[in-house]
Amino acid sequence: MADRRKTSSQDKAALAGRALYALGNFRGIAALAAVLLLGVIFSPQSETTGKLMFLTRRLHNDTLFENAEYGILAVGMTLVILTGGIDLSVGSVLGFAATLSSLLMVAYGWSPVPAILVTVLAGALAGSINGFLISRFRIQPFVATLAMMVAARGAAKWISGGIKVQPGARENYALQGNPPQFYTWMTSKVGGIGFEPATLLFIIGIIVMLLVVRYTGFGRRLYAIGGNEEAARLSGIRVASVKVAAYMLCGIMAALAGVSNAARLQLGDPEAGFTYELDAIAAVVIGGTSLVGGHGGMFFTLVGTLIIGYINKILSINAVAEHFRLLAKGGIIVAAVLIQQRRKT
Amino acid sequence: MRKASMYISPAIALLICIAGCAKQVGKTGSRGTRSTYVIGMSQCNRGEPWRVQMDADIKAAALKRPELKALFKDAQNNTATQQAQVREFIAQGVDLIIISPKEALPLTKPVAEAVDAKIPVIVLDRKVHGDKYTCFIGADNVLIGRKAGEYLARVLGGKGKVVELKGLMTSTPGQERHEGFMQGIEGSELEIIFDADCHWLEPDAQREMQSALARFPEIDAVYGHNDPSAHGAWVAAKREDKGREKTTKFVGIDSLPHEGIRYVRDGILSATFEYPTGGREAIDVALKILKGENVPKNITLGTRIFTKDNVNKGGEVL
Repeated sequence: MADRRKTSSQDKAALAGRALYALGNFRGIAALAAVLLLGVIFSPQSETTGKLMFLTRRLHNDTLFENAEYGILAVGMTLVILTGGIDLSVGSVLGFAATLSSLLMVAYGWSPVPAILVTVLAGALAGSINGFLISRFRIQPFVATLAMMVAARGAAKWISGGIKVQPGARENYALQGNPPQFYTWMTSKVGGIGFEPATLLFIIGIIVMLLVVRYTGFGRRLYAIGGNEEAARLSGIRVASVKVAAYMLCGIMAALAGVSNAARLQLGDPEAGFTYELDAIAAVVIGGTSLVGGHGGMFFTLVGTLIIGYINKILSINAVAEHFRLLAKGGIIVAAVLIQQRRKT
Repeated sequence: MRKASMYISPAIALLICIAGCAKQVGKTGSRGTRSTYVIGMSQCNRGEPWRVQMDADIKAAALKRPELKALFKDAQNNTATQQAQVREFIAQGVDLIIISPKEALPLTKPVAEAVDAKIPVIVLDRKVHGDKYTCFIGADNVLIGRKAGEYLARVLGGKGKVVELKGLMTSTPGQERHEGFMQGIEGSELEIIFDADCHWLEPDAQREMQSALARFPEIDAVYGHNDPSAHGAWVAAKREDKGREKTTKFVGIDSLPHEGIRYVRDGILSATFEYPTGGREAIDVALKILKGENVPKNITLGTRIFTKDNVNKGGEVL
């Protein structure tokens, strides 16, 4: 019970609206603020206007757009990690979904809605298989999702014939000239909002899941299972079905990220998403969600995604050499996690 | 029929090959040598599209020769697997081995064992150490980079701002494509204003290009170390919606039929430079070896440029 109380107090601390309260308790925000400050300090000037680039709207828009896929993956990953599990298959499921959705639209000429529906169903299926193997057959999450990681990549290469799916890649494809309109729509700013649908997918996804995790019974059960699985079982929670649901949602998010990836690249690459599972896990952990399960939440993941995204953007906009980029990234990850550990003790 | 589009350029190449080999077929018959030969091909990683193309080129060339039977093995990026594959081919007693090694040092010994067992070995793309192999066929990345640099210097009138989207810079092809490019633009007023290591990956190239576009109002050309990088940069420019994808010249390397060549045909890339797989040449050389003819120890392949004007004519040899 003490565990539950602690969780709910952390939840309160993470509430976005109470910024002042959060700043005192939630060091992730401090870490993000520090990264943003670094961004301003090291910002190059725009060659056109002479303004500091880090203070332009475009840069922040680009950062969100570029990190939307990692963010969507991280949202699903958070659900799984809250139960004390892990999903290594999200990168491969992303690749499979990118390939499948573009195959349906480009090779078979389907319209976007049914193509996305089928792709999301495929993602849900992959996630359910993960959940089923873990909860019914007692296979370690690491092992079960590792198997799915390998298998989903194989499936992506199989359905695509090993090539990137794009108009004209094969003679018998329905589309031979331009890529589907949907790709352009997905990656162009929607009038009035100023965000691309690909970015919106991330923002909406994280808001919906934040509400689900915080305010539904399902969300509370995720924490309960991650905190103490045996206690959760004894208190009458159907642990197996909650876990299957968590992995299924994770698969669905990976599928959506895959659709988004295909739109962004304008092609379905069977190799897409390679090692993205590590980026997703990093975003979750840097945000402050515990890998042991039971502690953390969606807001943490949003902050974690932004921290990594902005670090990458700052290094990229300054055209920093590769070796320094990797060193800097490693250092900042350790620094962020150290801050989190201080909070937990 | 399904794969027809993948074979357009190898098919053109084949026509030349058939014409060149026509005389030798008769010779084989008259000398009364064996009627069929088995060639074992060990590919280091079929996960890479360019290597898939290499296998496809070998297969297509071998299919045109009824006396050849080719066996393909994929080492799936695992050196130990590839060592075992070479030894399997030796044990099996194939007539000739073609190998595109993952790493030079660990595969030197298996290749030498094959030569000791009187099985000729053709090494493709990456070398092995020493001289215990029959023939090495490889392309010249420095040359290709230089040609790309010279091309851009020419079409930009000797002056302009260039973004360089590099391949993995810890790999030799990445280093050589950069080195060659610098040689090619030497003496011109071409200036590299932004560069980044994109690890050969299109998403990375797209991200880096977004940063470059945000920072620089004028970008005259983008030099991608491979075609997907150049394509990713084009998509980023198009998404910006300022028409810069039309005014900027995008140049890539590799020229795979369903990637670079198609991008040139669609007007996305201004040019792509072929990094030949050597698959077709390997079969030519294999036939000569099997007939007891002498072949050079090292063969360096040239490159071809594909632009909108020559793409339907199979490019232009440089």
